[in-house]
Amino acid sequence: MVKRRVFRLRVLLETVTMGKKKEGNAARYVTRSQAIKILQVSLSDFRKLCIHKGVFPREPKKKVKGNHHTYYHLKDVMYILHDPLLEKFREIRAYQRKIKKAKAKKNDELAKLLLSRAPSYRLDLVIRDRYPTFIDALRDLDDPLTMVHLFAMLPAIDRLKIEVKRIHNCRRLCHEWQAYISRTHKLRKVFVAVKGIYYQAEVDGQKITWLAPHARQQVLTDDVDFNVMLTFLEFYEALLGFVNFQLYHSINVKYPPILDPRLEALAADLYALSRYLDANHRAAIQEPQVAGSSRPEQEQEESDLRLAQLQHQLPANEPGALMHLVQDASSEIEEDETTRNCKNLFQNKKIFLSREVPRESLLFVIPAFGGIVSWEGDGAPFAESDDSITHQIVDRPTQGHVYLSREYVQPQWVYDCINARIILPTEPYMVGRDPPPHLSPFVDDEAEGYVPDYAKTIRQLQAAAKSDIQPLPGTGNDELDNSQNMLAEGFINRTEAMEAAEKKQEMMLLEKQYHNELKMELQGVSSINKLNSEDTKSKEQSLPDVEEQSAEDPSRLMMSRKKRGLYKAIEMGKQQKKERVKKLKERKRNIEAAQKSEKKHKKAQVS
Amino acid sequence: MSHQESQKLDNVNPLETRVEDVIERGDNDFLDDNHDQDEHSESSQSHQAVDESDSSEDEVAPRNTIGDVPLEWYKDEKHIGYDIAGRKITKKERQDKLDSFLASADDSKNWRKIYDEYNDEEVELTKEEIKHIRRLLKGKAPHAEFDPYAPYVDWFKWDDAKHPLSNAPEPKRRFIPSKWESKKVVEYVRAIRKGLIKFDQPKEEPRFYRLWGDDSSSADRTKHLAYIPPPKPKLPGHEESYNPSLEYIPTQEEINSYQLMYEEDRPKFIPKKFTSFRSIPAYENAIKDSFERCLDLYLCPRVRKKRINIDPESLKPKLPSRKDLRPYPSTCYLEYRGHEGAVLSISVEPSGQWIASGSKDGTVRIWEVETGRCLRVWEIGEAVQLVAWNPLPELPVLAASVGADVLILNTGFGNEEEQKRVKELLHIGTPTSDDSDDMSSFLSWIQDEKYDCIRLRHYRVLGSVPSSLGTVSSIEWHRKGDYLSTLSKRLTQRFPFKLHGLPVSSVFHPTRSIFFVATKKNVRVYDLLKQKLIKKLETQLREVSSIAVHPAGDNLIVGSKEGKLCWFDMDLSSKPYKTLKCHPKDITKVAFHRSYPLFASCSDDCTACIFHGMVYADLNQNPLIVPLEILRGHTSYDGRGVMDCKFHPRQPWLFTAGADSSIKLYCH
Repeated sequence: MVKRRVFRLRVLLETVTMGKKKEGNAARYVTRSQAIKILQVSLSDFRKLCIHKGVFPREPKKKVKGNHHTYYHLKDVMYILHDPLLEKFREIRAYQRKIKKAKAKKNDELAKLLLSRAPSYRLDLVIRDRYPTFIDALRDLDDPLTMVHLFAMLPAIDRLKIEVKRIHNCRRLCHEWQAYISRTHKLRKVFVAVKGIYYQAEVDGQKITWLAPHARQQVLTDDVDFNVMLTFLEFYEALLGFVNFQLYHSINVKYPPILDPRLEALAADLYALSRYLDANHRAAIQEPQVAGSSRPEQEQEESDLRLAQLQHQLPANEPGALMHLVQDASSEIEEDETTRNCKNLFQNKKIFLSREVPRESLLFVIPAFGGIVSWEGDGAPFAESDDSITHQIVDRPTQGHVYLSREYVQPQWVYDCINARIILPTEPYMVGRDPPPHLSPFVDDEAEGYVPDYAKTIRQLQAAAKSDIQPLPGTGNDELDNSQNMLAEGFINRTEAMEAAEKKQEMMLLEKQYHNELKMELQGVSSINKLNSEDTKSKEQSLPDVEEQSAEDPSRLMMSRKKRGLYKAIEMGKQQKKERVKKLKERKRNIEAAQKSEKKHKKAQVS
Repeated sequence: MSHQESQKLDNVNPLETRVEDVIERGDNDFLDDNHDQDEHSESSQSHQAVDESDSSEDEVAPRNTIGDVPLEWYKDEKHIGYDIAGRKITKKERQDKLDSFLASADDSKNWRKIYDEYNDEEVELTKEEIKHIRRLLKGKAPHAEFDPYAPYVDWFKWDDAKHPLSNAPEPKRRFIPSKWESKKVVEYVRAIRKGLIKFDQPKEEPRFYRLWGDDSSSADRTKHLAYIPPPKPKLPGHEESYNPSLEYIPTQEEINSYQLMYEEDRPKFIPKKFTSFRSIPAYENAIKDSFERCLDLYLCPRVRKKRINIDPESLKPKLPSRKDLRPYPSTCYLEYRGHEGAVLSISVEPSGQWIASGSKDGTVRIWEVETGRCLRVWEIGEAVQLVAWNPLPELPVLAASVGADVLILNTGFGNEEEQKRVKELLHIGTPTSDDSDDMSSFLSWIQDEKYDCIRLRHYRVLGSVPSSLGTVSSIEWHRKGDYLSTLSKRLTQRFPFKLHGLPVSSVFHPTRSIFFVATKKNVRVYDLLKQKLIKKLETQLREVSSIAVHPAGDNLIVGSKEGKLCWFDMDLSSKPYKTLKCHPKDITKVAFHRSYPLFASCSDDCTACIFHGMVYADLNQNPLIVPLEILRGHTSYDGRGVMDCKFHPRQPWLFTAGADSSIKLYCH
C-alpha cells in the first residue's frame, strides 16, 4: 500500500515537472493547478485542506510559470499529501457519491442508513501538527476568537448551511473562553468601537486581542462565500475547544463544564459557567490530592456528582462571597502585578445592570476586574432593590426611580475605568449626559504625536491616584480647563515639550535675523558693498531655507539608492504623521472656535 | 512470571517442578544478592561450580523404591522408604533453618543445590541441567541441538505416484455456496435492519482532550518549512471609537472630498459619533471584514519581512564634517551683469584676474573678477557657444566658438612684447597650414579682419557644402597652449582613431599626452604619442554631457543628462568608482579645481553642487568624496538653469554662468 502510494507520487511528480529543471524555483514551487494534480483532489477539497493545514501560497523569487499564477511550495504540497486527512476527504467524497446514488434510486432506507454512518474526521492531530506547543496555539488565537464570536452572533440559516448546532457551539465556546479569562482576571483592555467591542487579554504572556460584535441583528451580505468561512470556523472551533480544555485543566476544572440547566435555559450561560468554575475550583482546593494518585475512578465520579450538587446548592444571591472565599484560598497562586491590579479594580463594587444595557459584555468584563454584578431578570444573583449595590449601569435618557445609595452611570464608565485602571469620577458619565470621548487603549499617544484632551485628564487622575492625592473636586469639564495648569506644573508630556522647543527655536531664528539686519544696516553706511540691497534681501529670505536644505541634502547624495529610498520613505511617513496631527489640531481649533462663538452668541441673546 | 511458566510445564515430572521452584528461588536470591550481575557472569560461576563438583548422580539410580506414592505417608516415619534390597532408608538429620540459611549465605554455589525430598538428599545441579531448565522455562526444546523448524519432508508425496491417497471425485458442495449459510445470512441481515441486533457502537471518544501534554515536546515544525504566523490585524485607534473625540470626526466638506479621491486612497472607515450605547447599530461590514481576513489567511502569499526600526540619521554615510573641509565656495559674492541672453560659456584667465564669457546674444565679454567690471566686448553677431582662454599666461588668447567656426581672439592683455608675439602668431597662422595636409581639407584657417583674429572653419567631410549645421560642441586647449581640440557634431574633426558614436566632450590629460573623448555612453582614453586607444571607460549613463579631469590626471568625472555624476578612478577599474545622483535635471558642466580638492557640477535645475574630492597619493586609499554645498541663486530661463561653471585657478571660488544672463561668483 505504502509502496504503491510512493510510486504513484513519483509518477505524479514526474508528470507535473516533466522535462523541467530538477532544481531551483521551477522545482521548488508549483502552481495551484499543479498542486491539485499532485494531490488528486478537487479544488474545493484542496482549499479545505489548505485551510485546515494552514498552507498558504508562497512568493517565489522567480515566477517560472508567469506572474498571474499562485505558487505553492512543493514541501507544503507534500505536507498536505502525507496527511491522513487527504485520504479521509477522498473517502468522504466516495461515500457521498454512494448516498447520492441511493437517493437517486429512491432507496431512502439505504440512504438513511448510509447517512447515519457517514465517515467523519477529527482535527486534533492537525492542530497538534500546526501548533506543536500550547504557546504557539495561543499566539494565533486572535482570528479564531474573532470568528467564533462573530458566528455566535449570526442567525442560523439553512440556505447558507449555517446550522443551529454550530451557532450554539460557537456561543458555548465563547462563554467558556470568557469565563476562563474572567475567572483568572486575565483581561487587560477593552475598547468599544463601531465595529464591535475589542478585548485584549494576556494569557501565558501572549497578548490575545479579539473583536466581539455588538449584540445586534447582524447584516448578512451576499458577496461572501460562506463555505470558506465555515471551513475556517470548523478548524477554529476545534482549536478553541482544545485550547479551552487546556486552560480549564490548568486551573483544575473539568472540561467540558456541566452547567446548571436552569441558568442555561435563562440564557445566562456565562454566569452559570462562572459559578461552575467557582464551585469546581473550590472543590479542588478543599480536597487537595490527599487521596493520592491511586484513588479509584468510582470515587472520582462520585466527587463529580457531588460537585454538581454543590453547584446547585450554591447560595443563589451571593456569588461574591464565594468568590472571595476562593480568592483567599487561591492567593498562593503566583500572580503578577498587573493581574493583582486588575483583580482589585472593582473590588468593593456591587454593580447592577439595567434592562437596556448590553448584558453579555458587562457580565464578562466586571467580574474580570473583581466586581460583583447582577442584572434584571430571572436567575440573577441579587435584585435591583439590594441596598448594597454601589453602582447601577443605565443606558437611557432619564432614570425614573432613583436609589440614593448608589450611583447611576452609563456603561462607558466601566470600560473607561478598565482602560485607565482607576475608578474614574462618575459625574461626566451620569444618566442623560453626553459622556466624555471613549479613547482607544491600543494607541500610544506619545508615538502618535497627538494626545486627546481626555487622555490628558485621565493621565492626571492616574498620577493623582498613584501619589494618593485626592483629585481636585472639580471634575469633568472643569477638569479639562484645569489640565493646562496641571501640565504647567509638571505633567508636561513629550509632544508638548517638543512643540515648545520648536517655538523657541523659531523665536531664536527671528531674533537672529533681526540682529543681522541691524548689523547690515550699520555696515551699509560705512563700507562699500557691491551687493545691491535687493540681492541682500533675497539672500536674507532664502537663508534659512538654504540652510535647512543644505543640512540634509549633501549627505543624502552619498547614500546608495536603496538607502536613499528607505530614507525617503521614512521621511514621508513622518511627514504623513505630522500632517495627520496637524489636521487633528486644526479641527480641534475649529471646534473650539465654533463653541466659543456659540457661547458668545448665546450670551448676546441673553443680554 | 514464574507462576505462568510453571503452569506451562505441567507435565514435567514432580522432581523437575520442584527443582525448578528451587532454581527460581535460587535465582531470585541470587538476583537479590547482586542485582547488577548479568547472566554471563552467572553462567561462568556455574561453570566453575561444575568443575569443582564430583557428583555422579547421573549413574546412580534412585535409591528409594516406594514408587509414586504421596510422601506425606512417610512424614511421621523415621525412614523415607526402602532401598532396592528392601532395607529401610532412614531420614537424615534435619538442618535447622538458621544453619541452612548460613550455608546458603556462605556458599555462593548454594543456589544450585536443591533438596530431593524423595531420596532425602541434596543434589547439586550441573551446568547442563541448569541450561536445560532455562530452556524449558523459555518454552524451548530442552536440547539446543533440536531444530523445531526443520524443513518439512513430505513423505507421502512423490512425483510419479501411481496411487493417490484418495481417488474420490470432488464433491459438488465444494463448488456451490451453501444454501443454509445464505439463509442464515439473510436472517441476520433482516435482524440488523430491523434493529434486533445491535452492533457495538463505536466508542464515543471525548471530543476534546489534553492535546498539549507537558509542553516540553520538541518542535516538530523544524522538519517542515519555517512557519510564518499570520500578521495580526491592526489595532483600532481613537477614531474607531463609538464615541470618539470631536476632532477625529471629519467635517462634511472633508467627507465630500473623499468622493473625489481615488477608490484606493479613500479612507475605509469614516469615524462617527454615537451618543449612547443603545444607539450603536450592528456593523454592516462585520461579515465581509471577517471573510476578507479569511481570504487573506489562505490566499495571500506570506513573506517574512524584516521590520526596520532605524533612525533615519543612521542611514546617512559617515562623512567628515564640512567644517573641516573648508574652504569651499558657499555664498554668492558677486554678480556680473551685462549680457542680454543666456551665458553659454565662461572661462577664467590662467592668472585668475579676468574671466571671459560667451553668450547667446552674440557677444564675448571679458570681466574683471574682483570688481565685476566689463572690460571688453566683442559683438560677433551669432550665439557664442564656447569660450576658452589659452592656458599659457604669456599667450593671452581666447578661443570662442560661433556656430561651426572657432575664433581665436586677441584679448590685448599682457605687456607689449607679449602682445606683439600674439599678433604675430595670429597673423602667421593664416595661409600656411599648421597641421598636416589632410587636416586642412576639412579645417581651414582664415584670417578674420574684423576682430583681428583667426577663424577656424569646419567643413563637412562628405559633400562640398560648407557646414553651417554642425556646431562646435567643445573646445579644449592643450596645457601648453600649443594645440586646440575642437569637437563638432558633424564629424568634422579628425581623429586618428575610430570613434563609436558621436563625440560629446573632450579633454586633455593635464600632464601626459593623453586625450579623453566622451561619446554618449563611454569615455575613450587615447595616447596621442602612440596614437592608440588606452582605455575605454563605461559610464553606464544614458547620455554624457561633460567630462573633467583631476589635475593629477588619474581621476575623471563625468556628468550626464540624467543628473548623475560619475567619478572614475582610472587605476581602479573602467567602471565608475562612485555614481552620485546629485541633480534632478541635466548636468551641464562639471569642473575640477586646479589646486584645491574640490569639484563642482552645475545643472539645469539652477543649482551647482560643490564636492570635496580628495585623491590620495597612496594607491590603496580610495578617493574621498564629500558633498559640501548646493549653490542656489540662478533662476530658470527657457527651461535652462546654470549653463557653465568654472573654478578660479588659485582661489576656492566658483563662477557660474546662468541662462538668466548673469554670471555669479561664489566665494568661501
